[in-house]
Amino acid sequence: MLDLLTDNLDAFVSGLWVTTRLVGASFVVALVLGTVVAALRVSPSVALARLGGVYVEIFRNIPLLVLLFIAFAGVRRGGIDITAWTAGILSLGVYTSAYVAEALRSGVAAVSRGQVEASLSLGFTFAQTLRRVVLPQAFQTVIQPLGSITIAMVKNSAIVGASLLALPDLLKEARIINSNTFQTTESFFWAAVGYLLLTVTITIVFRVLEARYAVRR
Amino acid sequence: MGYLFDPANWEWVITGNNARFLVEGFLVNVQIALVSMVLALALGLTLALLSLSRIAPVRVGAKLWIDVFRNLPLIFLILYLALSLPESVRSFWVDNAPGFLPEAMRSQLVLAGVLGLVLYNSAVLAEIMRAGVLSLDRGQREAAAALGLSYSQQMRQVVLPQGLRRMVPATVSQLVTLTKDTTLVSIIAIQEAVRSGRILSQTAGNPFVGGDVTAPILQVMIFVGVLFIAFNLALSRLSRRLETRESRRTATRAPSTVEQPAAA
Repeated sequence: MLDLLTDNLDAFVSGLWVTTRLVGASFVVALVLGTVVAALRVSPSVALARLGGVYVEIFRNIPLLVLLFIAFAGVRRGGIDITAWTAGILSLGVYTSAYVAEALRSGVAAVSRGQVEASLSLGFTFAQTLRRVVLPQAFQTVIQPLGSITIAMVKNSAIVGASLLALPDLLKEARIINSNTFQTTESFFWAAVGYLLLTVTITIVFRVLEARYAVRR
Repeated sequence: MGYLFDPANWEWVITGNNARFLVEGFLVNVQIALVSMVLALALGLTLALLSLSRIAPVRVGAKLWIDVFRNLPLIFLILYLALSLPESVRSFWVDNAPGFLPEAMRSQLVLAGVLGLVLYNSAVLAEIMRAGVLSLDRGQREAAAALGLSYSQQMRQVVLPQGLRRMVPATVSQLVTLTKDTTLVSIIAIQEAVRSGRILSQTAGNPFVGGDVTAPILQVMIFVGVLFIAFNLALSRLSRRLETRESRRTATRAPSTVEQPAAA
């Protein structure tokens, strides 16, 4: 059991690192896009709110695998030379941004109406109110859901690795080691340990964030 | 944009049996999804009850099982099962699969896919159900006990109906995720919508296989994506309608204070 790990430590570590970078970059994309879409959804303009709603419904209901085929093979066939990394990060980021937007929207709903009214009556515009008053408080109430979304991202990153050949993530390294050694259970066991390491770390980080910033209502 | 909307790149939809080929693939996804949903809900409820058991070793064991399977990537489980299910199990399934199951469900390939989907989703659903039961006021259970109901009566008649009803939205969103995840079985060579799409985009326009109309993978996958979006939207609508009817009948409302576990 242990020799499989020590013999292939480099491959496992590099796979774990690829998975970590993929999740990290996609998280940034998801957070930025998710915030923008959540802002659209709560905006007073009906057209913008509807646009945000359509965005969420599309990306929450389409399989990530289909999105990956569109973003990589599809876009390349269309003549744009997108790399596997860009396609993977964009797909996972856009897919997750719909969930982030939904979480943030419920966070915005939890901010009391009086806050918005006070801010508007102080002469802030809607955009200023959203940016300086509502969203900072909304983020504080959705730390826990953001944590589960990030953990889901770690799991979904394995789909990205499984469908894009040029992205040697943790699961793919485990499959390569398995095809070299035929030690299926051992290869997958150590990959599972790698995934658990990542998810446990994320759980701890979000627990610390929650303890420091969360607002309980 | 020109490439995306160019009519020449969409002509395949109305040519020959192409659209039908994709829809038939999608029906395999639907079959796998429905079978996995039923099994995952049943196993999930069992796991949830075990994790709420009064017997400590049972409770701890069930929680450990749930935590392991819901924290591993589903594609990881499917690939592992596809590689490691012993030949005896596969052939047993092929020989003994009940005849009422659709043909796609009786092959040996599908076994790892469905097993993975059920193991993963039952763990996630168990956690959702457990949270629903735990969110219920203690007093409900105590009142039921004070009225002389046995443990199983308390569970069946008081705790579960209320606890599970609260978690309907979270459960449905997990079932939507399950439906999307059925595409993952294409990676272990089951011919469902995504695999059909890849086959179509490789063969259409190929002079050796047939037709002079090409089916670019971008447009094909958008078509497949629309099928999933339509199905999942219908699923959410249906559940919302049931929920409204139910809440009117029982005059209860799902409290907004319950933490709904988010998943993707």
